[in-house]
Amino acid sequence: MDPSGIFPTSYRADRRVVRTRWQLLALALFAVLMLLAPYLFSGRIIAVLNMMLISAVIAVGLQICTGYAGQINLGQAAFMGVGAYTASILASKTGLTFLLTIPLAGFSAAAFGFLFGLTAARIKGFYLALTTIAAQFIFHFAILNLPSTWMGGSNGITVPPAELFGVRFVGETAQFYMNFVVASIMVAGAFGIVRSRFGRAFVAVRDDDVAAGIMGINVAATKANAFLIGAFYAGVGGALWAYMIRFVGVDQFTLFHSIFFVAMIIVGGMGSIVGALIGVFVIRIIQEIIATVGPNIAESVSFLGGDIVFAGMNVILGGVIALFMILEPKGLMHRWNILKSSYRIWPFPY
Amino acid sequence: MIYLINDIITGALIGLLYALVAMGFVVIYRASKVFNFAQGELVIIGGFIVWFTTMQMGLSLWLSIPLSLVLAGLVGYAIERIFLTKLIGESVFSMVMVTVGLLILLRGLVLLLFGPAVRPFPIIFPLKPLFLGDMLIPMNLLIGGIITIIAAVGLSWFFNRTRSGLRMTAVAEDHLVASSMGISVKESIAFAWIVGAILSTIGAMIFLSGKSLTFLASDIGFAALPVALFAGLESIGGLILAGVIIGIAQSLTTNYLDPLIGGSMGSVVPYIIMLAILLIRPTGLFGWRTIERV
Repeated sequence: MDPSGIFPTSYRADRRVVRTRWQLLALALFAVLMLLAPYLFSGRIIAVLNMMLISAVIAVGLQICTGYAGQINLGQAAFMGVGAYTASILASKTGLTFLLTIPLAGFSAAAFGFLFGLTAARIKGFYLALTTIAAQFIFHFAILNLPSTWMGGSNGITVPPAELFGVRFVGETAQFYMNFVVASIMVAGAFGIVRSRFGRAFVAVRDDDVAAGIMGINVAATKANAFLIGAFYAGVGGALWAYMIRFVGVDQFTLFHSIFFVAMIIVGGMGSIVGALIGVFVIRIIQEIIATVGPNIAESVSFLGGDIVFAGMNVILGGVIALFMILEPKGLMHRWNILKSSYRIWPFPY
Repeated sequence: MIYLINDIITGALIGLLYALVAMGFVVIYRASKVFNFAQGELVIIGGFIVWFTTMQMGLSLWLSIPLSLVLAGLVGYAIERIFLTKLIGESVFSMVMVTVGLLILLRGLVLLLFGPAVRPFPIIFPLKPLFLGDMLIPMNLLIGGIITIIAAVGLSWFFNRTRSGLRMTAVAEDHLVASSMGISVKESIAFAWIVGAILSTIGAMIFLSGKSLTFLASDIGFAALPVALFAGLESIGGLILAGVIIGIAQSLTTNYLDPLIGGSMGSVVPYIIMLAILLIRPTGLFGWRTIERV
């Protein structure tokens, strides 16, 4: 919120993403920091950053679908899986370059997501959540039961490394730059989408779909589009994932992973791209802490064995989702906005 | 031919078991307008309570079963008090996400408390199948089916005929409207979760009797989901029919189609039926049709 008396005088100014010089400076500093990250931090931190960048792409997609368009989606991991499988099959069988496989992975995931978006035209609320869960089960079933020469069945698929002009993207640093470039493009695109005509239609449908329909918005198409875009992001993220892990298996894309992504946008704040990024950061940090601390605890309570990381993750994430829904349904972004508006208009109360 | 009949009977009985678990979904929905994704977790918690009272405390079945049901009710009440009361009047999204959070929270807790070990579950219903001529009927499922039908008729009567049942139905329509009519939404939701947890525990007894108990058994919650949607989330009586249809469809696919295609089509058939019904008739077979006005 700007101080009273300061307001945009043109649509162009109103639609601007970067509004102040300080924001531009902060953005530039952040970009420089990210570009220099491989020289500043150790390999472990870069690996975590890689995970964050990939999750950011997927969570931003989910934010558009759920946070902006209000369509509950518990199948984001399945959409990601479709993208990951598409990219790895194309890369391993046809040897296409990653410049093509990553967008194609996005498109195939988008097609899969669009199918479920069509159901969203008829049903809403938790019914919709149920069909997206069904997407999750159907994805698993399809991978495991189609002939294993197609999808690798339960063995998974090994992915060749991404390659461009003879440079192979192997190792954390090279992959970091690849992920950073793709994630930047996708996030910039997301800012564009939510400010556009489509983004405004999403928000209208989220707030009241009957009223949106009366205003002339094609509600069914808007909902299907939301799924299409959300799934496209998931597919691109899945392709990046496939190139990073260099192996895809059906266990990497379960309902639990979908719930993790939903947790990210809930913690960050619904209806905000930056919120999704904050959520990704927070949740991935929590995950990293558990992964580091977990094994130490596992030694003292030995009967749990290796499951403690999974169990601890579930308890903490489940608790975080429930707590945020009860105490702060608008997420961390909302807190940040309150802080921001208070320092912007300081020393005045409003 | 006799195999076919056996498959149909077993399928129908398993469908009734699904219907019992699905009844947990429906009762919670009918009295609180909350769709509980953590139903499978309630089943597994019920299972662990039964295991704890019989195997750990060494009580006889006549003592441990009532005790387990009481404990399960308390667990349901505690969940409701901690998580759900604070969300009265909130959006559908909040409710859905809290139960999804509960789903992974409870699963993690069960894993932390009991570990991944496989435990023997007490034999509550006789293991010996019932022979009728050439037909072979699993005893635990048969008794379970009878319990399901009794519970369905009883709860159906309660919700449709009694004054307090109709009050809860009003809560399922709209929290705000119900509370402005002087109906206690809190009480209604508390009742829903207590009954939901008890039904889940009964489901666990039938499902697990004489088998082994791990946290993976909670998958029955997702198996029961299509039954609840097929019947329509507001209809308790409809669950019986939906359960039988889905159970038979699943049993026939598993026994006749799966050997042909060499896959586990059986586990997906309920979901395909669910997707079809959601597309053709989103309210299920017997659910309420709501008319939206602006």
